[in-house]
Amino acid sequence: MTPAELLAERTHALRAEYAPWLDREASRRALAEHGLPEPRCEAWRYSNPNRWYETQQGDAPSGGGTPTAVGARLVDFGAADDDARALIRKHLHTATDRAQHPLVTVNDIAMQLGLLVHVPPSDAPAEIEFGELGGGIERILVVVEPNASATVVERPATPTHRVVECVLGEGARLDHVRLQPPAASVEYHLVAARLGAASRYRLAQYSQGATLRRNDLHVRVAGRGAEAEVRCGYRLAPGTHLDTQVGVEHEAADGISRQTARGVVGERGRAVLNGRIHVAPGAQRTDASLTTKSLLLAPTAQMNAKPELTIYADDVRCAHGATVGELDADALFYLRSRGVAEGAARELLIGGFLAEAVSDAAGDDARALLGIGR
Amino acid sequence: MLQIENLHVRTDGRDILQGVSLTVERGEVHAVMGPNGSGKSTLANVIAGRPGYEVTAGSVRLDGVDVLDLEPEDRAHRGVFLAFQYPVEIPGVSNMEFLKAALDSRHAAAGEAELSAIDFMRRARAAADRLDLNPEFLKRGVNEGFSGGEKKRNEILQMLLLEPTLAVLDETDSGLDIDALRVVAAGVNAFASPDNAVVLVTHYQRLLDHIVPDFVHVLVGGRIVRTGDKALALELESNGYGWLTDHA
Repeated sequence: MTPAELLAERTHALRAEYAPWLDREASRRALAEHGLPEPRCEAWRYSNPNRWYETQQGDAPSGGGTPTAVGARLVDFGAADDDARALIRKHLHTATDRAQHPLVTVNDIAMQLGLLVHVPPSDAPAEIEFGELGGGIERILVVVEPNASATVVERPATPTHRVVECVLGEGARLDHVRLQPPAASVEYHLVAARLGAASRYRLAQYSQGATLRRNDLHVRVAGRGAEAEVRCGYRLAPGTHLDTQVGVEHEAADGISRQTARGVVGERGRAVLNGRIHVAPGAQRTDASLTTKSLLLAPTAQMNAKPELTIYADDVRCAHGATVGELDADALFYLRSRGVAEGAARELLIGGFLAEAVSDAAGDDARALLGIGR
Repeated sequence: MLQIENLHVRTDGRDILQGVSLTVERGEVHAVMGPNGSGKSTLANVIAGRPGYEVTAGSVRLDGVDVLDLEPEDRAHRGVFLAFQYPVEIPGVSNMEFLKAALDSRHAAAGEAELSAIDFMRRARAAADRLDLNPEFLKRGVNEGFSGGEKKRNEILQMLLLEPTLAVLDETDSGLDIDALRVVAAGVNAFASPDNAVVLVTHYQRLLDHIVPDFVHVLVGGRIVRTGDKALALELESNGYGWLTDHA
């Protein structure tokens, strides 16, 4: 048996003790039917999923910090009352797609911690923060009610398996910031967002590398006139790994999406950034773009960038571009000729390059994580 | 102060400089003129230490120290400044950040205290004002989206802030309209003092209407074929370089 088959079998047989009232049948069926991805399949071409499967030993959660919220209600799935259970049942899996991201079935069945973040409409935007929640198999469900707005900041944490599902009602606003620290961990993350009509979702993910860190970012522009922004800024220390797969699905007309990635890869580092735009039939007047820029700091640094566009509507604007380069020798000399030492000059250039990926929300934290000035 | 002796330089497999000797003392302004491809920019870049040039013979000494083995930043710390012919755009790094880093490194190398943010801003604003640059430009990315004239003025602004002892200006007049040329020339004239030296590298005489050199050198085919005073520049203006090229 392969590690994928082993984990699928073991997970399928698992009797859920955590939040047993959750309906896990659909995930069990999907797992039984499709199994888990094997190494070298297209979606896992540059990251070996076996390394992750082998870490999924059902270890007990190690305990983490307490999330904080202003203007939002936080509910542990394990302690949910009828009202919260109804909300969770209503929204869970409305953003995720078991076929595209089969690992979510493992999250469903083997979940060790679930957190509902419920944002009702209010005059002031809600603010939610959490970091380490336990380091195990975590599920976060963010429900932003119509016309409500919120900022969710994921402070540096190293869970082995975290799925964050964001459901935005009509006219809702959500700024979502993820901070991923350098770590010797093996991690799988899935962020899945479903955007109601005229809502706006802005995701900014700032990452250092880990032993293996895989991020699947999946945004469904499901309601008419919704806007999505996905920013990724990353900096890989020598020998680390980061694999990010972004998919934006335009399912409704008049949607706007912007994907921007900036990354710096050190020696023996490996970064993967696949950006996908999918425009469904009927998603007319979609305006989507995707740019990926990366800097390789050494000949042994690796970057795999693949933009992918599939368009099934005829009245759309889609743009994409990907560049991979080194530090600009002319710029380096320019700085050095002004007296800036080579190391400091390189840092200035790296900082300037990455700064273009940093947004206002939690900008200082992002810069600190990426090790850049200002 | 600057002594260049028998300098031979090769780049991209071609011998560009073929025995240049030049002595510059403090308080002097030198103009190095010559036709395209004569090696003017090579000379400027080699003094500043740009990678990609191979010195096959000769020496460049600054106050008695051979600088050819020094890194560009060390040369800068010893007072060398090169105003670039094509200033580099660095998006994402603000002018302010860049200028502060340059000044801080200069002060650190000299064992002096860093300027406070307030003193730095005051000096930067004053320099910008002198060059007719909107102080807002300090917040913009280095040379990002600047017009040709703004880029050149930014070079002079850096020179004023860094106070080098040897300023080498590589085609600083190119791409400037007459008003910008006047502003730049006024900046250079204000900078020139008995404590420093200026080397102007230029193709055209017109810059020398505004900055009067003590010496004019004509570089042809990688050699200085003639040295004179300002009158030589006027002669070149009316006769071109042809008559010198023929003799080279």
